Amino acid sequence: MSGFYVLDVPEFGPVVSTARKLDRCHVHLPLAGYIFVQFDGEIEISRADTGLNEAVWFGCLTGGLDGKIVTFDSDCIRLGPTNEAILGEAR
Amino acid sequence: MTDHVTELLARPEDRPVDAARLHLHGVDHTARPTWKLRETVEFYRDKLGLPLVHAITAKGWGRATEQHADFIHFFFDAGHGATIAFFYYIGTQQPPELVVPRGFMAMANHTAWRVETEEELLAWHSKLEKAGVQVSQSVKHEILESIYFRDPNFYPLEITRSLRAIERIDSVDAELTMAASLDLADAGGWHSVEQLWRQKAQHVAALQRAAKAPQ
Repeated sequence: MSGFYVLDVPEFGPVVSTARKLDRCHVHLPLAGYIFVQFDGEIEISRADTGLNEAVWFGCLTGGLDGKIVTFDSDCIRLGPTNEAILGEAR
Repeated sequence: MTDHVTELLARPEDRPVDAARLHLHGVDHTARPTWKLRETVEFYRDKLGLPLVHAITAKGWGRATEQHADFIHFFFDAGHGATIAFFYYIGTQQPPELVVPRGFMAMANHTAWRVETEEELLAWHSKLEKAGVQVSQSVKHEILESIYFRDPNFYPLEITRSLRAIERIDSVDAELTMAASLDLADAGGWHSVEQLWRQKAQHVAALQRAAKAPQ
């Protein structure tokens, strides 16, 4: 199961509301201060859709990522599933 | 979950501070050396308008064996009892290792002052521009909105306002971020924030599992 966690605070709210509109995303209920955004396959989030400035945008996965970054630039984030070890080798 | 997070969550949210713990009460002063005495006084006192409130002059610290230079240690009022202070070592040259380096890494070592409102932040921006100080546009970054500039010594300065109160969840999140960071710090092969975010997801998942588990 791939997904990312969003800290349930106002500044990251636009990430959650944007994810709700994506077909491959399922937004879980807040639990212990975090909202889990589950996704299937690859998803793309557009910064323009979130309205976030770059200072917040480039930190918006700080809640944690269960998956991998395919691309992450000023305009969009593309995330996908992964089985790779975090430190690049079996731990 | 780490012990720190367990302790945080066990504490009532309306009493986030452990009263029995020894506390600090904010900043008294921070200090740095200067070899630009006139420019420093003119910048802090005259351009920023921070009152010059104290100055120590001394013959070394009496440390003859160390050949400690005679000096002036002077303080500007930065509000709420905090001062920003400088040492001017009389008759000395700036050592190369104390020249402020260019680049983002050296900007980490900065002073940020607080204002209360957006209007105050904008007023400071305008004041700095009128004084001929190069100042950034304001940037909102999570819980703060800030403007950035440099003093004549090239020391980075920031004026910031809080955008919201820091809640317990911010502390929990900080603990989980640092727990994940420390997991990776000594393991070797850590080169990206993506790895940190992936490691942190495991901590957040554990926190959510604990929240769901019957008490």
